[in-house]
Amino acid sequence: MSPSTMNDANPVLIEAREIEKRYPNGVLGLKRASLSVKAGEVVVIVGPSGSGKSTLLRTFNGLESITGGEIVVDGHVLHQRSADLRALRQRVGMVFQQFNLFPHLTVLENLCLAPVKVLKLPATAADQRARELLAKVGLSSKCDCYPAQLSGGQQQRVAIARALAMQPAVILFDEPTSALDPEMVGEVLEVMKQLAIEGMTMCVVTHEMGFARAVADRVIFMDAGEILCEDAPDAFFGAPKHERLQSFLRQVL
Amino acid sequence: MSPPLSRWLWHAVAVALLAALGSGLYLASKRIDYTWRWERIPQYLISTEGDDQKAPFDGFVAVSEDGKTLSMTALRGTETAQFTGFSMIIAGNGDLVFEGDVIAKTDAISAGPLLVGLWLTLKISALALVFALLLGLLIGLGRVSKNPAARDLAAFYVEVIRGTPLLVQIFIVYFFIGTVLQLSAFSAGVVALAVFTAAYVAEIVRAGIEAVPKGQTEAAQSVGLSGLQTMMYVILPQATRRILPPLAGQSINLIKDSSLVSVMALTDLTKAGREVVSSTFSPFEVWFVVALMYLLLTGVLSVAVRRLEQRYAVQG
Repeated sequence: MSPSTMNDANPVLIEAREIEKRYPNGVLGLKRASLSVKAGEVVVIVGPSGSGKSTLLRTFNGLESITGGEIVVDGHVLHQRSADLRALRQRVGMVFQQFNLFPHLTVLENLCLAPVKVLKLPATAADQRARELLAKVGLSSKCDCYPAQLSGGQQQRVAIARALAMQPAVILFDEPTSALDPEMVGEVLEVMKQLAIEGMTMCVVTHEMGFARAVADRVIFMDAGEILCEDAPDAFFGAPKHERLQSFLRQVL
Repeated sequence: MSPPLSRWLWHAVAVALLAALGSGLYLASKRIDYTWRWERIPQYLISTEGDDQKAPFDGFVAVSEDGKTLSMTALRGTETAQFTGFSMIIAGNGDLVFEGDVIAKTDAISAGPLLVGLWLTLKISALALVFALLLGLLIGLGRVSKNPAARDLAAFYVEVIRGTPLLVQIFIVYFFIGTVLQLSAFSAGVVALAVFTAAYVAEIVRAGIEAVPKGQTEAAQSVGLSGLQTMMYVILPQATRRILPPLAGQSINLIKDSSLVSVMALTDLTKAGREVVSSTFSPFEVWFVVALMYLLLTGVLSVAVRRLEQRYAVQG
């Protein structure tokens, strides 16, 4: 389905219903957070540090367990005692703040590992797919480099390509530019923008308000483990409805 | 970097201090009534004694005129035998010898008791190391397992083994387990050393695995790798580099610990040293040589591991 024809008929890929995350020490990390993401949508989550936005994102592929509520991701139901996370994780890509590339493998091997071991793709097919993706993120010349030989921006682009190599239905971005030097933020956002245009479903936790305004279909504001409001970017930034959001935007803009 | 001249000076100071210590020891040893007999040692490293030609039955010896052939005729019966190719005849012409008596010697260079002991030490250490690494990896994985039963068992193993002396473990393995399972002294030695070292290897493996950043596991899981695949393709390869140096230290410890198997009728390097002392009455020389031979083994090992580390480090 192309993004231009996106409408209410698009299937819902992520449906989070009243999810709750209580840590062993009793602190509530997420309070009855509900959210749905349709195929082809770009949802950006913003909020102050410690507001639970990364935690929310990480519940979508089971990296963070939940203590209440239910999440349905691409048909897989996640709740308190979820069993088959592997099948789910093949459909949900993730890009981390710290890149988390595998340092002992070359760039190409980073991209081929999961397709070969998990999808059982033949090595040549995985290799070809990896090279295509590296060309897409502008790193064809770095195939045989080790991650340590790349800049932060290049590493994060490799990490995006690695997520894409599994051909996921949705990609989760957990503050993908927060660990980058300022001059490298642009190249990563550019790749993400390109993905959005191609119709990739994306959930992005970020502090880049410019990206949220330009690329997001919906922006979500979280504070203290709660989803306080969600809106289209124009209304979100132009006419913020919630008082807490207004003070947040005053501070970051 | 410090200027080369002063650095060499400090190296010279270290050498001078060692020399002073050595000569101090030498002078002290002069004051006790001890005769150093270094010349007795080489024959216990390399034996030139040669092989014995023993009489196969009771009988009379006849030596040929050129002295190169020995023939025997049996005391009872009609058996005869001829021997050639020896270097020294011990029995005289017409002597009556009995079965098992040495009648001649052949020239041969063979390993002396110390080298034979070194070989056994090497063999028992190498075998024990292989098993210790396998067992240690397994138990180390158990230590970091998600399964509480595996964690408990692994922790129990490590606590019990690290909390008891190796010598006591060797006695238990040799006298109790060895008797129950009919183990030879050699197998018992290998088992005791492997079981002991595995506990330490397990802790090294656990520390190495825990030192790999958590993000690596998360990244591996988020691309759909299973727990086993994550361990095999992502965590262990990275842990290996961290594990290698302490593992080398543990292997060196294993070689040194192997000297304790000398308590169970195994002629390893230490036991061989004790035997040589009792036949030479030169304990100082023998123990210095034995120490040097251990140092040789451990030295070769640490050089080999350093090579390996450098090769891993190149990958960056």
